[in-house]
Amino acid sequence: MNEFLTFVFDLIVVILRVAIPVFSVIILIKIYSSLRHNRRDERPLIMLFDDYEKKAIPVLYWENSIGRSKRCDVFLNDSTVSREHAVLLRRDNGWIITDSGSKAGVFVNGEKITGRTNVYLNDKIRIGSTTLVVKRAEEFEGASRRSWFFKPEGKKSISPKRLLALITFFFIMVSAEACLTKESISTGIIDLKPFIYGLVVIAIMWVTYIITSLGFKRVNFEIESLAFFLTGIGVMLSVHQSDRQTNVQLAAAVVGIVLFEFLIKFLEDPDRVSKFTRWIYIASLGLLAINLIFGERQYGATNWINIAGVSVQPSEVVKVGFIIVGAASLDQLQTKKNFLIFIGFSALCVGALALMGDFGTALIFFATFLLLSFMRSGDFKTLILAVTSAVFASTIVIRFKPYITKRFEAWGHVFEEPYVWDTGMQQSRTLVYCASGGLFGVGIGNGFCKELFASESDIVIGIVCEEMGIIVTLVLAIAIGALVFYARAITTRSRSTLYSISACCAAGLLVIQLSLNIFGATDILPLTGVTFPFISAGGSSMISCWGLIAFIKAADERTYAVRKKGLFSSSEI
Amino acid sequence: MKKILNRSILTWVLASVFFIGLGYFTINLIIHSSEWAQKPFNKHISVTGLAQAGDIYDRNGNILATSVDGERIYNEDYSVRTALLHTVGDDSTNISTAVQSIYRTGLTGYNYVLGLGLPDSFRSSSDITLTLDANACAQTYNAMAENGYKGAAVVYNYKTGEVICKVSTPSYDPYDPVEIVDGDDTYEGVYLDHVISSTYPPGSTFKLVTAAAALENIDGAESRLLQCEGSKIIGGEYVTCVEPHGEIDMKEAMACSCNIYFAELAVELGPDVMTRYAEKFGFNQAIEVDDNQLAVSKYDVSKADEAALAWSGVGQYTDMANPLHMAMVCSAVANGGTPTVPYMIDDVSSFFNFKNIKISDKGSIGEPMMKSSTANKLSDMMRYTVSNHYGDSTFGDLHVAAKTGTAEVADGEEDGWIVGYVTDEDCPLAFAVCIEHGGFGISSAVPIANVALAASAVAVRGY
Repeated sequence: MNEFLTFVFDLIVVILRVAIPVFSVIILIKIYSSLRHNRRDERPLIMLFDDYEKKAIPVLYWENSIGRSKRCDVFLNDSTVSREHAVLLRRDNGWIITDSGSKAGVFVNGEKITGRTNVYLNDKIRIGSTTLVVKRAEEFEGASRRSWFFKPEGKKSISPKRLLALITFFFIMVSAEACLTKESISTGIIDLKPFIYGLVVIAIMWVTYIITSLGFKRVNFEIESLAFFLTGIGVMLSVHQSDRQTNVQLAAAVVGIVLFEFLIKFLEDPDRVSKFTRWIYIASLGLLAINLIFGERQYGATNWINIAGVSVQPSEVVKVGFIIVGAASLDQLQTKKNFLIFIGFSALCVGALALMGDFGTALIFFATFLLLSFMRSGDFKTLILAVTSAVFASTIVIRFKPYITKRFEAWGHVFEEPYVWDTGMQQSRTLVYCASGGLFGVGIGNGFCKELFASESDIVIGIVCEEMGIIVTLVLAIAIGALVFYARAITTRSRSTLYSISACCAAGLLVIQLSLNIFGATDILPLTGVTFPFISAGGSSMISCWGLIAFIKAADERTYAVRKKGLFSSSEI
Repeated sequence: MKKILNRSILTWVLASVFFIGLGYFTINLIIHSSEWAQKPFNKHISVTGLAQAGDIYDRNGNILATSVDGERIYNEDYSVRTALLHTVGDDSTNISTAVQSIYRTGLTGYNYVLGLGLPDSFRSSSDITLTLDANACAQTYNAMAENGYKGAAVVYNYKTGEVICKVSTPSYDPYDPVEIVDGDDTYEGVYLDHVISSTYPPGSTFKLVTAAAALENIDGAESRLLQCEGSKIIGGEYVTCVEPHGEIDMKEAMACSCNIYFAELAVELGPDVMTRYAEKFGFNQAIEVDDNQLAVSKYDVSKADEAALAWSGVGQYTDMANPLHMAMVCSAVANGGTPTVPYMIDDVSSFFNFKNIKISDKGSIGEPMMKSSTANKLSDMMRYTVSNHYGDSTFGDLHVAAKTGTAEVADGEEDGWIVGYVTDEDCPLAFAVCIEHGGFGISSAVPIANVALAASAVAVRGY
């Protein structure tokens, strides 16, 4: 290529290289500001009128505990009421009350209830010696509650279409940069393959949007946009590594999107979910058992099975099931029956993963278990007991697994002899290539980190940081990390604790996994072997990530409520 | 649901840990980025490294290395290229202390903001000017190569710290890197800059340290007389001299390099005083020159018996010395007790003036090694050694104060040394030459020092 043309291309590359991180920041901000806007204040849904005290009690949530304990959603200062007396739930067919095993029982219009009982306007609910009358919320005149996360007022946030247009433009820039590698500029042969892959990602994204907005009549698309943003970057980074891997990423993303939509449909009715719990337990354990029996050993862990020429990681799929069975609606939580089964199930999962030698995933399951069990029970004792026994178990593992012992030895010394040539090789190289990228990266396709072992999965942060720079790397990490704040902010706005627990724990799981990936690869923690959500190569991982964000999507009441307008107004009950 | 909201605070704890970790990673990356990016296994450096690297000049503006059309071009003169190999480096990063290895990211225009990723048209590479004189290095190299010597020669200005001449042999042409064959020791240690990264037994040059310790700790040590009969039993072992020296004082003992004289002083001073003085003189100490650590000179008599202590006082036993460090010892003698720290990077310039290579303080001085009265006495002795024993004509018109050494090494061979400095006001040069297996210092190291000094004098005086 002649000198002038080279200069022009170099100029384009420099502009792209600065523009890409800037746009990634803009997209991140737009997604989250859209998630924060257009939310209703937490106004009461209905009211319970205490006839004796002449006092109205607002009912704020879709599932409310009623009892003498101050931490109940509906607090009754009445010594004849049990601490956790009853649960008042809202379902598609109206309001329901259940007894949480109280001493005195619950009476609706004078009749003692057994199991779920519908309640209607002006019904009298007697709990202990308190009688509550169901009233419309319009009659309530108190202040609305608000979360710091949501900003209902202010200017309108970006529309889903515009957000997608922005991401589309971003992908065009990224794929253009991926075409203009150093080699292609110097040889003058520009391969358009990355651009074509970019267009495929864009097409999948728009088709999904059209189907969900026209077909499923959903108005919001932020969570999906976020997932597409991450998936697309992962695919673009993969283009210069291997075609097969890139095709797998794309195919897995499509499967993941289907799983995502399926889960949202499946989760629509919390009561249906609990009916399926048993089957999910069986299926998950079955998958892990098949893995243990027929598993193939790859890179020190037997966590793969081969089905008709396709390698899959069952543990990735089990992650989704783990969250479903871990979460539960409020009335189930109050009865606490299933908890022991869940603890046993978790122990089996973690044990099976440890047997496979996949300690990274075992740790993810364990940490998620802690999160789930704490959100279910609020019991610190269980938490401490579990952590203590896990620390004990892991010291044994460290002692008897030589490669793990070696990894611990090299921890913090990866640049020193002899670790720099063996155990610390991956980490030291990752850091070196992270440093080589600077703020803007060396450009997609120009990096050397991808030549390293496991660079496409365990140490993918090295590729991201080297080729796209630290700004994009931080944007990706924050995009996933901030899901936790979002998931927590929608906790009380979910249609059931099933959603709030599963959303928080799914977001938590992603953050735990991301922590192990980033900190393991950069020698902050002495671990490796887990994937960067959405970015690392790996079909099973991609599918499970899409599955996990379905929980966050499902926790947003708008996902189901908006297309059934009217549920917001209490007049329907 | 309120309870669930309260319990979900645990996810915040999780997120906080994650964000703290992420912040730690980012800060760590920013702090260490240039150090990490320069690692030799970074393929941005070792594979495509020098195509856009800046120029390297000697003190007179002669190009030592430059890049033209993506090729690294070295000086057109074979001797200059080969003599400066260990200073400038080659395309590889095998010589880890060379400028092109340690400053490669700087030379190629690395800074954290832009990383190593800028397209070639936009690189802002840095140019480096060295304090060395290409001609002095080339002449010294030729003198060493003609004799097939392996070793180190260094000359630096003891007033300013500028290194004028620095040669390490064996060397090779950067255009024609050597292939090291197993069993062939022709190129053994070729990737080591012996001036920076090697130590040798110092032999009699260590007597400067023993003398200084005696002068500062034993009354009348200078005028003490000894009858040297060629050998004497100290601590149950024979300490021998090349020949009987007769009745001598310290000055004469220094000049004729009497082992018995200094061995007895070392025993009398004892291990603690000897160690204290060796350490004051920079033994067992880390010394940094530009961004390189000198190989640490060693003096350790913690396990020595009397005979070993005696031998340690004349630079044998386990004593080891780095050539540049020994030149610094001489600069301390020349400067009234305090050494000048040498440096080689004179200037760094780049297009946008991103100074991505730090320049060490020019002419900085080290910790005092001895009292100025001691320095004056040592100076007298070293000057007397040259004028009365080697003859002033050895160094042409230069007036040199020096000490030679012939160190026995394990395999029965001897390393030849000379360390010293030029006393002429207009030519303040300190130097050290060590020839591996060169035999007597007077016959191996001295002629090389003569060539190095004459050429370096031209560089500083202009004639």
